[in-house]
Amino acid sequence: MTAAARAAAAVCLAWLAVCAACFALFRLTPGDPAAIYADRAGVAGAQITAELRAAWGLDHPPATQFADWLLRALGGDAGLSFEDRRPIADDFARRLPWSAAVGAGGLALGVVLAVALGFAAALRPGGPADWASRALAVMAQALPAFAVGLVVLWVVAVEARLIRPLTAQGGDRLVLPILLVALFSAGSLARVVRAAFAEVRAAQWFRTALAKGLSARAALWSHGARHMTLSLIASLVPEAAWVVGGTAVAEIVFGVPGLSERVVAAVAARDYPVLQAYAALVAALMLTVRLAARLTIRRLDPRPAA
Amino acid sequence: MRLVPAGVVLAALGVLAAQAPGVTVDLDAMLAPPSAAHPLGTDHLGRDLLARLAVGVAPTLRAVAAALVGALGLGVAAGAAMALGPALMRATLEGLADLALSLPTLVVALVLAAALGAGSLAIGVALAITGWAPYALTVAALADRVRGEEYWHAARALGVGPVAGFRRHILPAIAPRLGALAGADAGRAVLMAASLGFLGLGVDTGRPDWGGLVHEYRLFLFHAPRLVLAPVAMIALVSLALHLAFDPLRPMHRRGAGGRGFRPPRWRR
Repeated sequence: MTAAARAAAAVCLAWLAVCAACFALFRLTPGDPAAIYADRAGVAGAQITAELRAAWGLDHPPATQFADWLLRALGGDAGLSFEDRRPIADDFARRLPWSAAVGAGGLALGVVLAVALGFAAALRPGGPADWASRALAVMAQALPAFAVGLVVLWVVAVEARLIRPLTAQGGDRLVLPILLVALFSAGSLARVVRAAFAEVRAAQWFRTALAKGLSARAALWSHGARHMTLSLIASLVPEAAWVVGGTAVAEIVFGVPGLSERVVAAVAARDYPVLQAYAALVAALMLTVRLAARLTIRRLDPRPAA
Repeated sequence: MRLVPAGVVLAALGVLAAQAPGVTVDLDAMLAPPSAAHPLGTDHLGRDLLARLAVGVAPTLRAVAAALVGALGLGVAAGAAMALGPALMRATLEGLADLALSLPTLVVALVLAAALGAGSLAIGVALAITGWAPYALTVAALADRVRGEEYWHAARALGVGPVAGFRRHILPAIAPRLGALAGADAGRAVLMAASLGFLGLGVDTGRPDWGGLVHEYRLFLFHAPRLVLAPVAMIALVSLALHLAFDPLRPMHRRGAGGRGFRPPRWRR
């Protein structure tokens, strides 16, 4: 219990550190957002810039600004966007379900695909599943997700005329982005699954299981599943990190009204409050995933780490 | 042997960048199909597609160079500090490496692009921040092993300092592994530069890189798919060549049975 409490405290500290680093980066870099905003609005001038700075709270010392932001953020208020002066939290709450569906749905489907493919590949090394998983892995490493997404769009919508992805309503427009994220996740995770099962196959006790009369398939699954789960969970953390970025790209390619649109526009406009909120959100998500993965591994494999 | 495809691709890129004609607008030749004058055809403003691809060579290679220098330098330095420094430094750096492994590269690149302006610098720093950890962990793990060898003790007994010893006895022993990591990272840098370009955050929207071209031409996907497929093919070709040059999938594939203590960290994208 104390170990779990310590891990949770470490997560909170790490989150604070990431948020503070982000905040410092935005405050220390040259370029005054108030001046940029005034310039874009065509009302540049020292007077207006100073008024904007006061209105946005930029005239306080950075430490005060950070404490102010932190207190409000913990209460669920991420402040107002520089660009359109609307509450960021409301905007994010409207967009987050789309992004979460693409990311979580894609990763879940990817894990299922990876386990099936990796198991089949380990059962018959050099067989079709092995080649398919290697081809997917090469694709995931060497091709950009947006390129694969556009090619998929071209094949599905232009050549085959199966669906109308850009004009589809509601849940239909989630199909292709989820598939894209799932394909890329499966590509790298299937090799992990395959390697874990290969380790099981090479173990002495696996021969014993075969000698008992189990088929290779049954022995590999019933004796190897836990070992594979451990490897899989350990590699889910870096994979989740990729999925956050991959989801952003998939949303833009397929026109999903998720967070990415807003964030990409905020980068171009230097809308720091939006980016700060996004960074805090992603940091909280990734640290939670990391903590959950660690606790699950400890529960599955209670032997103390060497 | 495995360096041959990468060499061929790099040489072809050099020829392309040097030989391609300048980009000119020619409204009489809008969306012309491939011909002798325009090997890949022209775009909606009559610009030669091949010439536009040539413009993207330099920003791509700059991003790769910035990313490799940053991640390798930071990673080797951190790994050396982990292996040779006091226990507290090692624990701190290990915690930081663990944290870095869960940073989403694209998000870091977006944040940096907002703060520093989009470009090779933002891409390089983003890949260095998120990519140094595998190098550091590899260096530290292999350095631990070398420090058990007799030649290390002999060198230390002869009065060789830790830093000189690291350079002379540890770095050569771990160079091949670092090379494999660097190959994967170079490929990632190409993809990252392309992704930022595609999101419309490329270096210079007037002279777009390949990702920027895809962004610009994505509306023509249905009418003239070659405009999108050509830059996509360039990105895939360069990234694949860099990957194959160091073949990161081979050790991943082979590390099956045995488990001889050291296991290379998983590749990130």
